[in-house]
Amino acid sequence: MAPKSFAAADSDFANVSPFYQAVYDTLLRMEPDGTLVPMLASEWKYNAAKTVLTLKLRNDVKFTDGTAFNADAAKQNLERFKAGTSADAQFLAALQSARAVDATTLELTLSAPDPAFLGYLSKDASFMQSPASFANADIATNPVGSGPYVLDTAATVTGTSYSYKRNPDYWDKDLVHYDNLILNVYPEQTSLLSAVKSGTLNGSLIDIAMIQEAEAAGYKNNPFEGNWVGLILFDRAGTTNPGLKDVRVRQALNYAFDTKALLDSVNQGRGTTTTQVFPPSSDAYDESLDSRYAYDPAKAKALLTEAGYPSLTLKMPSTPLVNSAVFALITQQLKDVGVTVETVDAGNNFIADLLAAKYAASYMILEQQSDWQLINMKIAPNAAWNPYKYADPKVEELVKKINLGTEEEQKSSAKELNKYIVEQAWFAPWYRPQNSFVTDAKTKVELQTGNVYPFIWSFTPAA
Amino acid sequence: MYRFVLRRLLSGVLLLFVITTVAYLLLYAGGGDIARRIVGPTASDAQVALKASQLGLDRPLVVQYWDWLTSALTGDLGRSWFNGQLVSAGVSSRLSVTLSLVLGATIIAAVVSVVVAVWAAVRRGWVDRAVQLVGVLGFAIPGFLIALGLVSLFALNLKWFKATGYVPITTSFGGWAGTVTLPIVALSIGCIAAVVQQIRGSLIDALRQDYVRTLRARGLSFNRVVYKHVLRNAGGPALAVLAVQFIGLLGGAVIVEQIFALPGLGQITVAATGQGDIPVVMGVVVATAAIVVIVNLIIDLAQGWLNPKVRLS
Repeated sequence: MAPKSFAAADSDFANVSPFYQAVYDTLLRMEPDGTLVPMLASEWKYNAAKTVLTLKLRNDVKFTDGTAFNADAAKQNLERFKAGTSADAQFLAALQSARAVDATTLELTLSAPDPAFLGYLSKDASFMQSPASFANADIATNPVGSGPYVLDTAATVTGTSYSYKRNPDYWDKDLVHYDNLILNVYPEQTSLLSAVKSGTLNGSLIDIAMIQEAEAAGYKNNPFEGNWVGLILFDRAGTTNPGLKDVRVRQALNYAFDTKALLDSVNQGRGTTTTQVFPPSSDAYDESLDSRYAYDPAKAKALLTEAGYPSLTLKMPSTPLVNSAVFALITQQLKDVGVTVETVDAGNNFIADLLAAKYAASYMILEQQSDWQLINMKIAPNAAWNPYKYADPKVEELVKKINLGTEEEQKSSAKELNKYIVEQAWFAPWYRPQNSFVTDAKTKVELQTGNVYPFIWSFTPAA
Repeated sequence: MYRFVLRRLLSGVLLLFVITTVAYLLLYAGGGDIARRIVGPTASDAQVALKASQLGLDRPLVVQYWDWLTSALTGDLGRSWFNGQLVSAGVSSRLSVTLSLVLGATIIAAVVSVVVAVWAAVRRGWVDRAVQLVGVLGFAIPGFLIALGLVSLFALNLKWFKATGYVPITTSFGGWAGTVTLPIVALSIGCIAAVVQQIRGSLIDALRQDYVRTLRARGLSFNRVVYKHVLRNAGGPALAVLAVQFIGLLGGAVIVEQIFALPGLGQITVAATGQGDIPVVMGVVVATAAIVVIVNLIIDLAQGWLNPKVRLS
């Protein structure tokens, strides 16, 4: 996937993170295990109410155009990102104001505490671009940051191949492991596979179907799980499909799927079956919950009958972007318990339609972020992936505790929330699919918690 | 002669105008909510509106088109809506890749076709039948299968050539040759198959003409008759086929570029069309339409040189 604009205010993350991390530093840096460590900010502190964050910034950093990095530059970048067109602009939704107290002190005032805020400052929300370059006509293709590398615009073919050179004046030599970086974008799997098999690449994210061939070509498979796959039962209030209001119906939809068989047939058995949307790295995760809805079609039928829906009809969208076998399997497995699925081809509007609450339930693959981010993406009443705006007082109370409570309260409430969501069957998760990042013999990589692509400084030449 | 060229150039400009207008309208009609697609499905409505106003998508279609057209006339094709790159820079850097493939394939196709066709037309018999059979096969096997076969054999197993990627000729000629050889071969095979059939047919017809017997009777060597007279007479239709093939190769290059991950026009065409990146698609349309106009003009002139009967005043 190629990055869109290189302008920090319009930048994205996840799959395209390395393109930006090579040229832009962030205020905080996230270690592979998720720990936050200093980067451009050497220390930071919240006030007691967790609404004012004060960051101490480094005073020895210059952008590659010679402009000095300081609190005012940081303030401008944060404000621009919040007002920009990045898909992650809502990361800074809680940021009410930024103030450069002095050259090395930045004070951020939040409208409400946001436990994920510090994490956002290690991502695209705090990419620091030289303020002197904001007005450049080529801002979208010629980034000016303070990062470990500089984009070599002459050798770069936008959309296809991005060349970087080491930033000779970089302030933290420990983060620069290469003299040159080339990040290639492959338009489809055939050419990516050719590039892997011919040994052109040091590392790549690859489709699990290609793992064996990559291993045969001498690559090492570094597996990880960062998503979950299954159904989202959006319409928990039964607004458009009254059946889904009954928790027994939603539970029946969990019992109805033979998740192990689905994992085997759709993902070559690579992954782990689950019933929860929180990942094992989360405080909310509870391994015992994974056996809560073991495949039991008889139980599913019984629950549906008990709820008064022995023959439920569910309208769900499909999309050519997903393996069509998935939709056939959904239809078949649900038919076995008496649920009729009407599949509607939503084409490329699949996600837009889901977010516009056009379907009461749908198949989906979603990322497993850190707890607070996950809650705000999938569970909270105003979450994007809660398009029916379903609210439950118990959930709201727990979410409040996770936001404002002590560390202990946060952990126990997260666990309680997860258990409640599983019990209430808000979702019908099947499994966490395995993803794979392959590396050649010359390259070592540390995978990143919470991001599909390893961070740029996590790649090192093998000794 | 000059009037002819001038007339063709003028009609070329008119053609360009019509093609770009139609393309713009079609793209616009099929575009949907482009601002939404750029900022992503999870973006807020305010962000979508911001993007739309940044790109001027909130203006009426006529205004947008007029704006594009007047800028295009001054050579400014705008910037990509998705990655902000200057369209003129993006298209021209990629055009050189595609043209080196297509020109390479056309030259190889022309040379190989003439040699093979003369051989088949002169020798006839089993040679001719074999050439015809291979020709049909070459024509029938899809280009992408040939490309995949070439990658698997020459790049992955024998490692003679690069499997993917592109090295500009200005960086290293050897590197360039290593990256474009397989794509050129893949592209030229179907082209050779088509052109051989055409030249072979015309040659056989021409060889039966009375003037051939006359020339031979006057003592000219067979080779001289074939290469100086017969081939020139048979060249007209062959040139026309070659021109059609050349333009067809621009399309064929799309698939070959995907398979070899070459940064050519095909790659951005596919990406930009899928995204609805109208400025980029329009840049590609302008470039390819201009190529078609120019190629046709050159072919017309070459036809006149080959055959005085079609020379136009």
